[in-house]
Amino acid sequence: MIWRFVVRRVLIAILQLVGISLVVFFLIRLLPADPVARLVGFNATQVAYDQAEAALGLNKSVIQQLGDYLGIMSTAKYDGIAQGYLGDSWVTGSPISEEIGRFLPVTLELITYSLLIAFLIAVPVGITSAMRPDGVGAKITFFWGLFAGSQPEFWWGLMFVFFFFTWWWEQFGFFLAPAPLGRINPMLIEPAVITGFILVDSILSLNFEAFVDAAWHLMLPVFTLVFIVSGPIIKMIRQNMVRVLRSDFILYARSCGLPSRSVSLYALRAAMAPAMTLIGIFYGFLLGGAVPIEVIFALGGLGEYSIRSILSFDYPAIQGTVLIIAMVSLLVYLTIDILHAFLDPRITF
Amino acid sequence: MAIDEMTAPAGDTGSARPIMKVENLSVVFPRPDASDITAVHDFSLSVTEGEFIGIMGEPGCGKSTAAMAMLGLVRPPGRIATGTVEFLGQDLGKLDEEELRAIRGKDIGMIVQNPRHSLHPMIRVGTQISNVYRAHNDVSKQEAWEHSIEMLRMVGINDPERRVKAYAHELSSGMAQRVLIAIALSSQPKLLIADEPTSGLDVTIQAQFLDEMWDNVQKTRSSVVLVTQDLGIVANYCDRVVIMHQGTIVEVAEVHDFFNSPQHEYSKAILGLQRRAQEKGVAIAKVDEKAPPLLRIEDLTMHFPIRASKSKVHAAEQVSFEIKPGECLGLVGESGSGKTTVGRCLLRLEEPTSGSINFHDVDLASVSREEFRKNRANMQIVFQDPLDSLNPRWTIKQVLEEPLKLHSDMDQEQRLDRIRELLKLVGLEESFVQALPKEISAGRQQRVSIARAIASNPDFIVLDEPTSALTPETTAEIIELLIDLSNKLGIAYLFISHDLTTVKFICHRVVVMYLGQIVEIGTKDQVFETPRHPYAKALLSAHLFPDVANRRVDREVRESLQGEIPSPITENLPKGCYLFGRCPSQVEKCRNMPQELTELEDGRLVRCWRVQEGELTD
Ligand SMILES: Nc1ncnc2c1ncn2[C@@H]1O[C@H](COP(=O)(O)OP(=O)(O)O)[C@@H](O)[C@H]1O
Ligand code: SF4
Ligand SMILES: [Mg+2]
Repeated sequence: MIWRFVVRRVLIAILQLVGISLVVFFLIRLLPADPVARLVGFNATQVAYDQAEAALGLNKSVIQQLGDYLGIMSTAKYDGIAQGYLGDSWVTGSPISEEIGRFLPVTLELITYSLLIAFLIAVPVGITSAMRPDGVGAKITFFWGLFAGSQPEFWWGLMFVFFFFTWWWEQFGFFLAPAPLGRINPMLIEPAVITGFILVDSILSLNFEAFVDAAWHLMLPVFTLVFIVSGPIIKMIRQNMVRVLRSDFILYARSCGLPSRSVSLYALRAAMAPAMTLIGIFYGFLLGGAVPIEVIFALGGLGEYSIRSILSFDYPAIQGTVLIIAMVSLLVYLTIDILHAFLDPRITF
Repeated sequence: MAIDEMTAPAGDTGSARPIMKVENLSVVFPRPDASDITAVHDFSLSVTEGEFIGIMGEPGCGKSTAAMAMLGLVRPPGRIATGTVEFLGQDLGKLDEEELRAIRGKDIGMIVQNPRHSLHPMIRVGTQISNVYRAHNDVSKQEAWEHSIEMLRMVGINDPERRVKAYAHELSSGMAQRVLIAIALSSQPKLLIADEPTSGLDVTIQAQFLDEMWDNVQKTRSSVVLVTQDLGIVANYCDRVVIMHQGTIVEVAEVHDFFNSPQHEYSKAILGLQRRAQEKGVAIAKVDEKAPPLLRIEDLTMHFPIRASKSKVHAAEQVSFEIKPGECLGLVGESGSGKTTVGRCLLRLEEPTSGSINFHDVDLASVSREEFRKNRANMQIVFQDPLDSLNPRWTIKQVLEEPLKLHSDMDQEQRLDRIRELLKLVGLEESFVQALPKEISAGRQQRVSIARAIASNPDFIVLDEPTSALTPETTAEIIELLIDLSNKLGIAYLFISHDLTTVKFICHRVVVMYLGQIVEIGTKDQVFETPRHPYAKALLSAHLFPDVANRRVDREVRESLQGEIPSPITENLPKGCYLFGRCPSQVEKCRNMPQELTELEDGRLVRCWRVQEGELTD
């Protein structure tokens, strides 16, 4: 049963990806931009310009370009998407998939840790503030939500850098947080890339010095993201829980004389399933939404890569990035749906 | 008689021991941006040992809230504002949470309304029953699980070993209801608070359950507080009645006194139909027996295909009957017996598998859709839930104008006149024309659907459970309205209902259906006074008429059918008589002998060879 569902969802996802690729392909070509001029400079000779244009394939008709890109009825020497190849970057010349392979794990690592921590905080806080609506927890949550949501994330990022790095050093003479310049101290030996998650890799390669330093470098960016996303997550978990606590089955469970511990478990069980969906939505959102944080801390994530590609009119890179982000989002949604189905027997495939 | 026995326990001083004493209970719900709502106000009630008390009142009057508050529970964010509850001499307000918990579900059992939503959606039913059992008994998980299976078996759930693993959404609401009953009864509570415990059940099962509860009260001297909307239940089982209206108790009376001389205005409204019938003689006009039939259906059969299977749902099987102009024909039977299907086929809301429907000398079953539509003006339908059939975004004026545009060539002026006339006919004020359906009460919504049905001057209307979603007082009003309209306009009805009380009021003749077949047709008096088919007999005996002079609990034998109506899919249908297996009069010969609908000497039709051959008399 579940396999049929997965297969169906994957097929739908492929259709969606094809749709997204087409939209992006045409949208960027509608932009009033001249990537060739950008590449060869405005003072280049007509010959140099024509050569570059031919090298990029931009002298062909749009339909032919599309064929090259998709790898269907291609007129180019290189492979297309159908052959599983995303093309080469116009700027660096190296394969897009390789570049994304380097940048994507950075982003994934950042948002995975942030969401995990945010949930570990939000679940208990959201639940207690739902159970005691007049308690301190509920009030703190309320003001936190207001406060954290009052400024954009880059502002908070800069504030934290200023406070924990600059100000702290001036006040106390040591660094609470490292300079916002990457994932690890450049003087250390970086762990070999295995998963792309630097913490995981440093453990796998038994490089504990790197592990500690990388964790230290991740501390502030993760803290900033947690600070920002926890507010809305707590709010949604609390609302879920309030709704569940008012439900017929909780009232009935109490009227049957179930111990309060069991009643809480009943409530938790019902409130958790929708919270799962929430993780998925936030994950998809942060794939693109964490850009300001990546930039401030110079982490070198996918967000930074996409900005760079856009500014240099690197069409293959833009197309590749959008495709990969969409793919990861769809994958996350699918995983969440499967997990949800395991939690909630009402969902059938 | 039963009451005398109870109020004088042997060797006592004469007054029975109070079990619960509720005083001045008030429950308040805060609203964030307005003043608080007092849902229950100054509720006082004392329940004595062995007493069966009924609480009645309109929806939203606070019955369920009061019932919960007796346990000290309120749905958040509400709170108990004032009042004390004493249970067996203990003030519940002075107990701590753990002591209270130990009483709830053990000494005081609770059956709540809305059973499917009251079970946790993500936990197996068996686990939930076990959890409650383990909360009050020191047993292992395994023992509790086996106990759950036993309890499901006890409340008559087929295949309990499988059902115990089900989730709430996999149960029908009747089954979920029985799970709650099982939970409540398993600890043999001293007081059972039951909030509309039988609303999802068929009459036959309802009677079994209430009988058992009543016997239990007699045997163990426990007590029951039963919240209900059903006058029949109150009349047949309760010793005392509490009438609530808008959050307060307006009347508490011994049950005979309540039915014979209600004191409060609202009580009188609840008993409206009974009383007005006695006083003014509300009745539907006689039918001209010699007139040719208006509608004649013959061998109407409806089989629904089942996806990916060769078997079918036999919803209606060779149904034949006639309706004369101005006649009201009742169609009764348990749910799933095919009543709705027959009604829907008449209007071609379902395309019948075979059979003919002669109406005004046209066979509606075989004409083209185009042709059929021309006849639609003469034939209308009214459904159970008015909100489902009224477009929520249309004002009452738009609702009523639609059939006029469709079936007549009136200009705007004439249409407005006609709408005024229609509103007057159904007893609504003209000021309602601008209202939206959801802004008016359920009773008024049903009046609007009736007005829409009569807009095109039909001579026949199918009424599918037109009062089943309504309270007793609005039911009374709607029935009177229907009688009035038929008398004034000469409209004939097919009145589909499982509520035999209203059928008895309005119908000339009655058709009894079982598993898609007609088992008996006769005049109202024949069917209601002396039913002949074993199923018709059992159905009538299980039905609770609001008649305190003839209480079910006072009867020597309380007949009821065993088991449940099977679902009418091909492989479930018995080879012989469809009632075989549940019939109290069955003999071996019935097993394989299909039954024909045959006329008896008194003109009625019955589908049972033992009745036809005179083997079953009385
Ligand atoms: N559209 C449909 N598809 C399949 N089965 C149906 C459909 N409508 C009704 N049935 C089945 O036909 C039988 C008779 O139903 P119904 O006419 O609603 O009975 P009643 O009105 O007496 O409750 C039931 O078993 C019901 O499940
Ligand atoms: S034919 Fe037999 S089983 Fe059927 S109703 Fe008559 S007595 Fe009962
Ligand atoms: Mg029905």
